[in-house]
Amino acid sequence: MSGRFLTLLGKTWLGLILFFLYAPIIVMAFMSFNASQYYQLPFEFSLKWYQDLAGNDEIIAAATRSVLIALVTTVIATILGTAASVALFRFEFRGKRFLQVMLFPPIAIPWLITGTAMLIFFFGVGLGRGTPSVIIGHVALALPYVIVVVSARLATFDATLEEAARSLGADAWTVTRRVTLPWISSGVIAGALFAFAVSFDQFVVSYFLSEPGDSTLPVLIYTSIRKGFTPEINAISTIIIVVSMAVMLFAARFSNFGGER
Amino acid sequence: MSNVLANQERLKIFGLLSPAYLWLTVAIFLPLSAMLYFSFLSDVPFGDAEWTYTANNYRAFFQTSTYATLLWKSLKLGLMVTCISLLVGFPCAYVLAKAIKGRSREALFLLVILPFWSNSLVRIFSWAIVLRGNGVLELGLNAILPFEVDVNLMFTTPAIVIGLVHSYLPYVILTSYLALQAIDDNLIDAARSMGANKLTILWRIILPLSLPGLLAGAVLIFVPVVGSFMEPRILGGRVGTYFGTVIEDQFVAVFNWPLGAALSFILLAVVLLILAVASPVLKRAQT
Amino acid sequence: MAEVSVQNVTKHFGTLKALNNVTMDFPDGGFFALLGPSGSGKTTLLRAIAGFIFTDGGSIRIGDKSVEHIPVEKRDIGMMFQNYALFPNMTVADNVGFGLRVRKVGADEERRRVGEALELVQLGQHGDRKPHQLSGGQRQRVALARAMVTNPKVLLLDEPLSALDKALRVDMQIELKRIQREIGITTIFVTHDQEEALTLSDKIGILKNGTMIQAGPPREVYSNPADVFTAEFLGEANFLSKDGKGVLGLDAASIKLPAGTGTNATLAVRPESMSITVDEPQQDDMSKLPATLERRIFAGAMATCILNCDGQVFKVIARDQDIPELKEGGQVWLSWKPEKTIVVPSGG
Repeated sequence: MSGRFLTLLGKTWLGLILFFLYAPIIVMAFMSFNASQYYQLPFEFSLKWYQDLAGNDEIIAAATRSVLIALVTTVIATILGTAASVALFRFEFRGKRFLQVMLFPPIAIPWLITGTAMLIFFFGVGLGRGTPSVIIGHVALALPYVIVVVSARLATFDATLEEAARSLGADAWTVTRRVTLPWISSGVIAGALFAFAVSFDQFVVSYFLSEPGDSTLPVLIYTSIRKGFTPEINAISTIIIVVSMAVMLFAARFSNFGGER
Repeated sequence: MSNVLANQERLKIFGLLSPAYLWLTVAIFLPLSAMLYFSFLSDVPFGDAEWTYTANNYRAFFQTSTYATLLWKSLKLGLMVTCISLLVGFPCAYVLAKAIKGRSREALFLLVILPFWSNSLVRIFSWAIVLRGNGVLELGLNAILPFEVDVNLMFTTPAIVIGLVHSYLPYVILTSYLALQAIDDNLIDAARSMGANKLTILWRIILPLSLPGLLAGAVLIFVPVVGSFMEPRILGGRVGTYFGTVIEDQFVAVFNWPLGAALSFILLAVVLLILAVASPVLKRAQT
Repeated sequence: MAEVSVQNVTKHFGTLKALNNVTMDFPDGGFFALLGPSGSGKTTLLRAIAGFIFTDGGSIRIGDKSVEHIPVEKRDIGMMFQNYALFPNMTVADNVGFGLRVRKVGADEERRRVGEALELVQLGQHGDRKPHQLSGGQRQRVALARAMVTNPKVLLLDEPLSALDKALRVDMQIELKRIQREIGITTIFVTHDQEEALTLSDKIGILKNGTMIQAGPPREVYSNPADVFTAEFLGEANFLSKDGKGVLGLDAASIKLPAGTGTNATLAVRPESMSITVDEPQQDDMSKLPATLERRIFAGAMATCILNCDGQVFKVIARDQDIPELKEGGQVWLSWKPEKTIVVPSGG
């Protein structure tokens, strides 16, 4: 009796948490379909704000830039990160532990610090603000995630499979192509999606590194919010959240975190 | 022979690792060093600006109490958000890990983690919509309650705390869940067979075993909250001045980069100190 | 198919001597076991023959080719792994055909030979399954087919049966032996199970701490172990004396020794060599000892008796019907033929 009561209590708690996590997002999305400019109720359905978005060149340019930066970041971070993961998995060498520890500062140090430090450094070397700087920063932030995700997948890889392939006469390249890569492919895909999400949702580093008038979508939203709220921001925010949640749902299918697969 | 092999292997390791680590060096580690250097300059060394080496930027931190007070305010905020997240998140992770089984657990877990991987700025904005005066929260409460209430949390400290808890709660749930899931159910059954009641099991077995996960979650929340600036700006308005927002100002409004660098570095030192203190426990959490 | 020869092979891992001047011949077409406790170097030796490990010294020949500097993939070996190492992303047929495809034999030939190999291991119908859809025994057969399909010079098996349960293991032992006989391939396998080694192989190499203690036919190593370790490792032994010091405080006259036994030798008798009688056996040509029956453990056709012989615990295994009905604690006589006394030279 009391056990069942506790379970019920726990599940209710979980439900409340989910409500807390999703309610504001749903309210925000809801308001993007409301005709009133001042978020007035009663609700009156309208696609006005989405239509306005379509005509807003500044937002469209920023959105395009965000997606492009995220794609470039994904490609670079996935290739470099996968290569590094394979090396860290396959070889034993001095300093390996150190290299693994070096992955944590980019994740653990607040982005405010990393972002301002990048700003200073890129100005110091003459690169300044702009899309190239943003990409360099995003790749650096995404790399550790890719390495962690791909390494986690590699850790489940049975190294004797490589030995078996070699004993059957396969050279190193064939072993990699036919045995290792097929096994880690789901990890690589998950890593790539993580990289995309890190870049696409990145605000802080982009904020310090992007040029005014040439900013990414989150930066543009931030500057707009500080001028005042409009349902147009709700509309673009709703699109962003739908896109990034879809990407992460996809990533979850390819990585095994949370599920015992 | 074996030397040739070793050389080939070394070449392969180098070829695979150097691109990634070179990138991290250029984009993370060199900038951090550059920031340290900058923090000792009197002015930005660009253009015709006159500059000298100085410790004035650090002196500024200690001379006026303004910055120290703000740092303390940020640390208190971090502590508060961390504690609330732990208290709220741990039971939630426990329910997920031990009370729910099978596919629905996987789905619910994903649902809890999902917001974390969506845009934090957008989520903070969504709270602004909910909390503002005449916003959804007020309208909703007035619709349910028989009497008129005036809820305008916007631009208050509670608003900042709510927004930050919302942002970082999934961290605690994730790390606690992983730690709890690693606890063998047989241990709990064994304790029960020896006559332990639920409270004893929680206190003597579950909490000690999941402590590394809890602490990992705590650090993962505390560190970014201390360095937050966007959340206080949007939800806090005028009360939302913290150490992070002051650093932001130095770079985007006041353009006193050397002072900003010094303040950033002080923040980094605090962060590293916290990580160093927590690292033995975090290491255990990894394994 | 070819003979394999290992001469004075040495391998260090840091300061650890994993292989210490190991020598053993594996004649063409034979079935050989490398036996030893964990850490004895048996797997290291197998991996050195396979080419996963490059040795520090000595020579390894497969056929008439010296292979010390040839990498695994060029040695033309077949290997079966402890966990089978089947590629999880490929079907059974693709797994078996992997080595053929690497050798570019052509699609038709590949299909034909994969079919033959699967027939040989009685899995002809399972070609399009994935490894995870197979039982443990079936996986093991796939691994065997995969290792043999390329007609390698030598088949190397790394504890191939250890993951199977007891009943299945015995079946697979018979199967493995049948297939090996049919193909006539030189086969070397590593095991820590002495019974498996004794049953399957034509020749056993016993390793300890990286050193080859003894190599020879099963019967020979079983009845003439080179040292105390081997005597104990290859099955249970009741020790009568160790290094010349009598374990028992009785007169040695009742124990008949083969001629020429050194005074420092270790003497032991296998549990199944002794018989138990209530009365003292009258034959003069038997070795005999009085003992107290402490326990009798029934195990179907056979029974194990634990006896106390002057403070020493002895174990005797015999057919249940051959053991006299007696209460525990009763006095009995142990007797055995003198040639059943195992004489281990001292310092061996």
